[in-house]
Amino acid sequence: MLIRPVGDDFRVIAFYMGRIFLVIAGAGILPLAWAAVAREWNPFGSFLLMTGLFALLGVIGVRLAPRESKLNWSHGMVVVALTWLIVPVIGAIPLLLSGHFGRPLDAFFDAVSGLTTTGLSLLGDVDHLASSLNFWRHMLQFLGGQGIILAALSIFAGTGGITLYFGEARDERILPSVTSTARFIWAVSVVHLVFGVTALGLVGWLVLGFDIDRAAFHGLMIFFAGFDTGGFSPQSTSVGYYHSAIFESFTSVLMVAGAMSFGLHYALWRGPRRAVFANLETRTILSTFGLTMALTLLGLAATDVFVSAAGLTRQGFFQILSAHTGTGFSTVPSIELAGWGGLAFGGMAIAMALGGMGSSTAGGVKSLRIGLTIKTVVNQIRQVLLPEHAVVGTAYHQSGRKHLTPNLIQSVMTISLLYVALYLLGAGMGLAYGIPLQSALFESVSASANVGLSIGVTDPSMPIPLELVYMLQMWAGRLEFVAVFSLLGFVYAWARGK
Amino acid sequence: MRNLLRTLIATGFVLLPGPALAAEEVSVEEVVEQAADLAGEEVTVEGELVGDYGFRDDGWMWTQLNGDVYVHEPIREGGSPLGANTGIGIRMPIELAQGLDPPGRYRSRGPVVLATGTWKYHDPERQGESFLEVESLIVVEPGRHLSEDADWGVIVSGALLISGAAGIWFARPRE
Repeated sequence: MLIRPVGDDFRVIAFYMGRIFLVIAGAGILPLAWAAVAREWNPFGSFLLMTGLFALLGVIGVRLAPRESKLNWSHGMVVVALTWLIVPVIGAIPLLLSGHFGRPLDAFFDAVSGLTTTGLSLLGDVDHLASSLNFWRHMLQFLGGQGIILAALSIFAGTGGITLYFGEARDERILPSVTSTARFIWAVSVVHLVFGVTALGLVGWLVLGFDIDRAAFHGLMIFFAGFDTGGFSPQSTSVGYYHSAIFESFTSVLMVAGAMSFGLHYALWRGPRRAVFANLETRTILSTFGLTMALTLLGLAATDVFVSAAGLTRQGFFQILSAHTGTGFSTVPSIELAGWGGLAFGGMAIAMALGGMGSSTAGGVKSLRIGLTIKTVVNQIRQVLLPEHAVVGTAYHQSGRKHLTPNLIQSVMTISLLYVALYLLGAGMGLAYGIPLQSALFESVSASANVGLSIGVTDPSMPIPLELVYMLQMWAGRLEFVAVFSLLGFVYAWARGK
Repeated sequence: MRNLLRTLIATGFVLLPGPALAAEEVSVEEVVEQAADLAGEEVTVEGELVGDYGFRDDGWMWTQLNGDVYVHEPIREGGSPLGANTGIGIRMPIELAQGLDPPGRYRSRGPVVLATGTWKYHDPERQGESFLEVESLIVVEPGRHLSEDADWGVIVSGALLISGAAGIWFARPRE
């Protein structure tokens, strides 16, 4: 029997969401201060409005706390799913008031895209956007990549943290408590921030010849979007704007760091480093990267677009790395990407669909699931080929020796199939609007796997239903479905339960 | 004013060296869309310089040339948001870039120029980068400041919301 949620259920949800909103209100002070320092008074007003709304909703939510504020699994999932919907609604206010969007839905689209670290954008004239608004767009990617719930968990310890942590599509607890894990993840990110911004800023200033303040600005923006595999950029020509192999190299390091699971970061920092390469996930991602890279380079070589091996390698490597890590940076225009047919298209689309590592800032099916799926299929084949009573080993290495269990296989297969269904949903919707199959599939995979590479389908003139489907894909893809289904179940129980 | 500009452009062309006169006049959009077809061609492109001027040690200045609707109808002056920018990377000898007004950014429109040069499509010498190597440059319209008025209604609304939040926070004892 479905049990209808009661008042206390809503109050618990409101309480935890209130806490998260207060954290976001605190984060909103940064772009507010930026706008004040830059004397950008229009954005300043809109950041004040946004911060005020987050603060007000946060305080109201916290005040609604029930006597027993224990968060169960269902509550936690609903909190996560709703937070990832409401934060972009309010976070879109400064974008909407900037005048750079034709319709409110487009501003919401960009906020969803930013928070889910996708990087698709409907913003008009990014090259004349206020620096504080650019900061906010990129900061949204940082908050989303790290996990807004994780940000709250780092500050508010307490019961229910584990539910919220897992709800945000993290399946690896690195340290004994969720709070210490959250703080470790932030520590890793801050270290990368310091080194990343310094390195990119120095390249911008000393090599590219930018003014020092602009070099620091570009460094910070590209760090946010690179490390959190977001893909926004402060200029319309993405990373191609910099025309610099060394800048692309540093950006590539950040993209790889972002696509690595935080468990792997932990192992690299503190554990035996050799063990890292024994992990099924590491081996899988290295294999799939090599394979998709080879496919793309072969495809590009066949088109004669690049007349030099160095050009082919540099451009091909960067686009495929961006696709596989789910970042979405590019050094070639979208119209040119659209022309990459055959193997090059296949390599890019497969790389996007596979994605980065689990518990990272990247999207997609994730390497561990791919590795486990392959292992399951291989085991099945071996089972068929070997004598009837032969025992097929189920062990695999992932931060220690583990075994494939039926439950694990079922979970892996279910999520993987849901991703495939999500990819097909957007592609089918695109086809229904007359978009060619290749373009519809590319854009759909890009949205669902939170990549952000576009071949021109995502445009302010796109049909609203298609825009809504892409938003749904970004949201569901980022949360890896569980929290989304929990929210749907909660709403259904509220409507039909007793 | 437009007639005056046309005259200035025409005069500029007359004063240009030979290769520029022979260059095909194309839009930035055409360069982006027909990038492969125009490879190695001498072209003249009109657009706004945006972003940064990167003065590099090798004697080149790199920047971006936009040729979209926002060049003539900036959003800050009532233009409609009609999608993404259309821009290409350009580089020119540093001496050619001396004295240019600041590039286009927020609250400033960069100089609108006619740039003539060779379209380098996936240039092997630059490991596959595409860009316009500018040989001559005419400033059609100088850069200018775009005004921005603060929206006091929004600022006051935001301040009221924050005051309201603070009021509720301090009005009753916390948990």
